[in-house]
Amino acid sequence: MNPAIEIRGLQFRYPDGKEALRGISFTIADGECVGLVGPNGSGKSTLLLHLNGLLPESLPKDPNVLVYGRALCRENAAEIRRDVGLLFQDPDDQLFCPTVYEDVAFGPEQFGLEKEKVRTVVTKALETTSLLGHEHRSPHHLSSGEKRRVCLAGVLACEPRVLALDEPTSNLDPRGKRNLIQTLKSIPATKIIATHDLEMVVELCPRTIVLDQGLIVADGSTHQLLGDEKLMLAHGLEKPHILRHKHPH
Amino acid sequence: MRHDFLDRYSRLNSPIHRLPTTVKLLSTLCIISATVTVHFTQVWFFILVAGGLLILSALTTIPWRFVFGRLMVLEPFALGIAVMALFQENGVFVFLSILTKSTLCLFTVILLSNTTPFAEILLSLKRFGVPKLLITILALMYRYLFVLIDEAERLNRARSSRTFSSSPFRKWNTMASLIGQLFVRSTERAERIYAAMSARGWR
Amino acid sequence: MHIPDGFLDAKTAIATGLFSITGLGAALRRAGRHVQPRKIPLIGLAAAFIFVAQMLNFPVASGTSGHLLGATLAAVLLGPSAAIIVMSSVLIVQALIFADRGILALGANIFNMAIVAPLCGFGIYKILRTFFRGEQGRLAAVGFASWCATVIASVFCAGELAWSGTALWGTAFPAMAGVHMLTGLGEATITMLVIAAISKTRPELLEDNDQAVSINGRSTAFVYVALIVIGLLLLVAPHTSPLPDGLEKVASSLGFEHKAIEEPILPSPIKDYQVPGIQSAGTATIVAGVIGAIAVFALSFLFARVLARRHKSAVHPSSPANRQ
Repeated sequence: MNPAIEIRGLQFRYPDGKEALRGISFTIADGECVGLVGPNGSGKSTLLLHLNGLLPESLPKDPNVLVYGRALCRENAAEIRRDVGLLFQDPDDQLFCPTVYEDVAFGPEQFGLEKEKVRTVVTKALETTSLLGHEHRSPHHLSSGEKRRVCLAGVLACEPRVLALDEPTSNLDPRGKRNLIQTLKSIPATKIIATHDLEMVVELCPRTIVLDQGLIVADGSTHQLLGDEKLMLAHGLEKPHILRHKHPH
Repeated sequence: MRHDFLDRYSRLNSPIHRLPTTVKLLSTLCIISATVTVHFTQVWFFILVAGGLLILSALTTIPWRFVFGRLMVLEPFALGIAVMALFQENGVFVFLSILTKSTLCLFTVILLSNTTPFAEILLSLKRFGVPKLLITILALMYRYLFVLIDEAERLNRARSSRTFSSSPFRKWNTMASLIGQLFVRSTERAERIYAAMSARGWR
Repeated sequence: MHIPDGFLDAKTAIATGLFSITGLGAALRRAGRHVQPRKIPLIGLAAAFIFVAQMLNFPVASGTSGHLLGATLAAVLLGPSAAIIVMSSVLIVQALIFADRGILALGANIFNMAIVAPLCGFGIYKILRTFFRGEQGRLAAVGFASWCATVIASVFCAGELAWSGTALWGTAFPAMAGVHMLTGLGEATITMLVIAAISKTRPELLEDNDQAVSINGRSTAFVYVALIVIGLLLLVAPHTSPLPDGLEKVASSLGFEHKAIEEPILPSPIKDYQVPGIQSAGTATIVAGVIGAIAVFALSFLFARVLARRHKSAVHPSSPANRQ
């Protein structure tokens, strides 16, 4: 079977000249859960935007992002967007509809599902994120944790095979974080999680990729990499507490 | 949720709140059209409308203080323009007529807007054939109003914490650059929203 | 300038309603066909932005305060068609959610504040820009255009009230135009300051204002111009013929600045806008308007010069003279 994500020598420079990605290659197998860590400005978010073709603005002739063996190009961008669900950093950017139901239904409706099918998919997504009963609330009446869960439901309703999450636990209180981690655990999709929350990485992701200044500096077992105090400090990170008492042998 | 003053009562559960939105919209339009067109000499009509609205208002279970508070806030605008009516023949009659009419219309709309969530008004406008683009823009606008109000408050607070003089010009300048900053942030957010919409298959 | 329900009769409400549907329809069609999809969220956000900007209070002397209308600001930032959509959305939401302004009067309000004001503001801005370049030119054009747009829109408003029989033209015209010649000063000042602030942080946002929703479509431009001309002919022209006797003495002697429709935003040096010696209030208002326009034009240039200088010093912060 083809790997879920395959990236070959990906480079990207923003219009203002800032070089965000400087030649990145890796593959992620189907069903894998990978943590993407690195200091601010290391290129994590930029990388995630490439996974479903939001960047670069005009897709290149020679694609270097493959999703389930299909190269991401202009012709199949729509199809691939359906396969890769992206959870954005700021839930306010992603929750653009006036009610929870409309927002979760946005994706399926855009993909042309019929009304009844949309309803089933939305209900299922709301159930997974334990939001049933909140359908008619407006986003501005929700708490941060609820907003984040609605965003996740909106992504899940598109039934993606790969979930790309950008800082899913930022701005959440400990309980909200716990709920979110439990929800993510219950979702079988391939996951790639960009975050500073290393405790969550330890809990969810067997594998970690460390990114710094647009380059992959390490890629391997989470326990090994995050337990390596030197590596962590060199790239603006910190050995998580859970690993403090364990020795990486 | 400091800004729920905008639609605080639109989610109560009264018989009026439960009415279909289309019915409410159409009856609002009927009441207002009738109120505006009926001649002021038909005093009984206006008494009837006022009575009806008071009964409706009681049914909505919205506190009286809130309803009359809104009326009192909005009335001065009407009063200001109505004053101009005085300078003509029969001025007092016209003045009283438009003041009564505008108060009743105001009352009707206050009842509509506080018994119907905006999302539902949009849905029924869509059914009436309002262009989809306008609906999209209205929905986005309503959604991000609250986000921008928060943002403006945060910017304002951050500024006042570092402002020590209070000359009026400085103040105007500060407010204006706050507005400028708000616009810049809006364009940036619009880009991110576009990305989020595209990610879920828009266009 | 916001007309509540009950102030317009059926014919005025219907006529202005039709104008607004035509204008907004043309703007939406233009936007639907020629705006890149990525700009659609921007129009929605801009509407929210104008709404919030209108909520911010600018303190004026003696405890009163004023706020921005934002029609010219929207037109300069986004182009005329997008500005029409933005301003209309603001008015629709205000009418439906806040019961602010009327439902039946929505047509008239949209016509005055969301069609006439941004179009006039944009037109005057563009014309001035062809003559006056550079940062100072831009700011001066913005200031003068916002003042004119405010005053012109208020004249249409007076025309609608007069056509409805709510107030006599001889009362409504001097009162509305007079008050808005004052509030227009506030509008112009705020708009200039806002544009100056944006030009300091993100000048490129001002450069590409035309590409957002341009007026280049000939048919759209034709609809816009036609609407304003028909509006003028229907609402304003009938009244400008010799005024009926008897009005002027009421209007001129009472001095409307005491019965301001909205609190004026700025105290003005020409407090009494009626030039002594001219009998008719209507004529006096026109004369005051012309004098006011010339004064505002000059003031805009002076103020723009100050702002443009500050802009330069902000761009080159190293020069010691500009350190505070």
